[in-house]
Amino acid sequence: MDKNIYNIFKLFLKVGMLLLGGGYVILPLLQSELVEKRAWIDENELYDFYALSQSVPGIIAANVSIFTGYKLRKIPGAISAIVGITLPAFVSIVILAQIMGYIIKFRFIESMFWGIGIGVLTLIFLAVKEMWARSVVNRRTSVLFFAAFILSAFFKISPAIIIIISIIIGILMARFLPEKKEDKVGQ
Amino acid sequence: MIYLQLIFEFLKIGLFSFGGGYATIPFLYHLTITKDWFTSQQLSDMVALSSITPGPVGVNVATFAGVKTAGILGAIFSTTSVILPSLVICIILSKLLEKFRYNRYVQSVISVLKPVSCGLLAAVGISLFIDNLNLLGLILFGVFIFLTIKEKREPIFYLAISAFVGMVAGFFNLMG
Repeated sequence: MDKNIYNIFKLFLKVGMLLLGGGYVILPLLQSELVEKRAWIDENELYDFYALSQSVPGIIAANVSIFTGYKLRKIPGAISAIVGITLPAFVSIVILAQIMGYIIKFRFIESMFWGIGIGVLTLIFLAVKEMWARSVVNRRTSVLFFAAFILSAFFKISPAIIIIISIIIGILMARFLPEKKEDKVGQ
Repeated sequence: MIYLQLIFEFLKIGLFSFGGGYATIPFLYHLTITKDWFTSQQLSDMVALSSITPGPVGVNVATFAGVKTAGILGAIFSTTSVILPSLVICIILSKLLEKFRYNRYVQSVISVLKPVSCGLLAAVGISLFIDNLNLLGLILFGVFIFLTIKEKREPIFYLAISAFVGMVAGFFNLMG
């Protein structure tokens, strides 16, 4: 199969359709499609892209697709990858949103969604637990965690403002604090 | 102008959310406070639906918020806006990959952003917890937390059980 932009689009469209239950599923999917079936990129590159995708803003699955698409065919490749990965999500949600209005009127559906809210709360809890394990590693990072938590939960400060302040803190730390090994972000 | 507002808000989300699909949730939750586009209950529905529809959660939620607020055109604007910062940043980075990764400033900023993003998500969790919980919910949540200690399950496991419990509770009018 040729690495042209049509094939790149088709491949990412397929991955986009199979991407159920959260973006992190993209890694095994791309591994099977890109590394094992086609050998378009090697495994180490893919893992590098994944690690890198977590350290830039935006949706991780989208970032991985852009990095991979760019690697395959520069900017046109990146664009076809991102359109392919996004399209199934877009279409299914637009359709679902049209139907939602009709079904939500039933009382048992309404209480079903109330129940699902508890499930979502559990998913958020799990995501926090996982992020905590990867990011809160010493006293400094726990202070940052609780500062962000309190500013957001109790003072309702906009997350964008908190992120901007964090970026400034990060830059100042690199400028004025001596470099410590434990602060290195390991992959 | 609603479209411009959607573009602005979702560009912001694409630019400032670090650490995966769930990292967009604090921003969307903040929108339930500052804008009347959707409620926190609707946001929770969107998150649930996006885990049973294909695609990254962040994209799903952006599309949903757009279509809910301003129809299909709104969805096109919100989805494109949430992706656009990624596209620009990742393409630029692809060009200067190695230099970026081992830069001291970049490393330091990332080490700050990771725990902060985690704290932001925890704050949403607490707010939703306070907003929506009654006795039955508390029991169900407690059971789920207990189950997560033993082993990690697919998201659909929790959603299916909670949907079923919710439906039964609605049927017998158990909700407080």
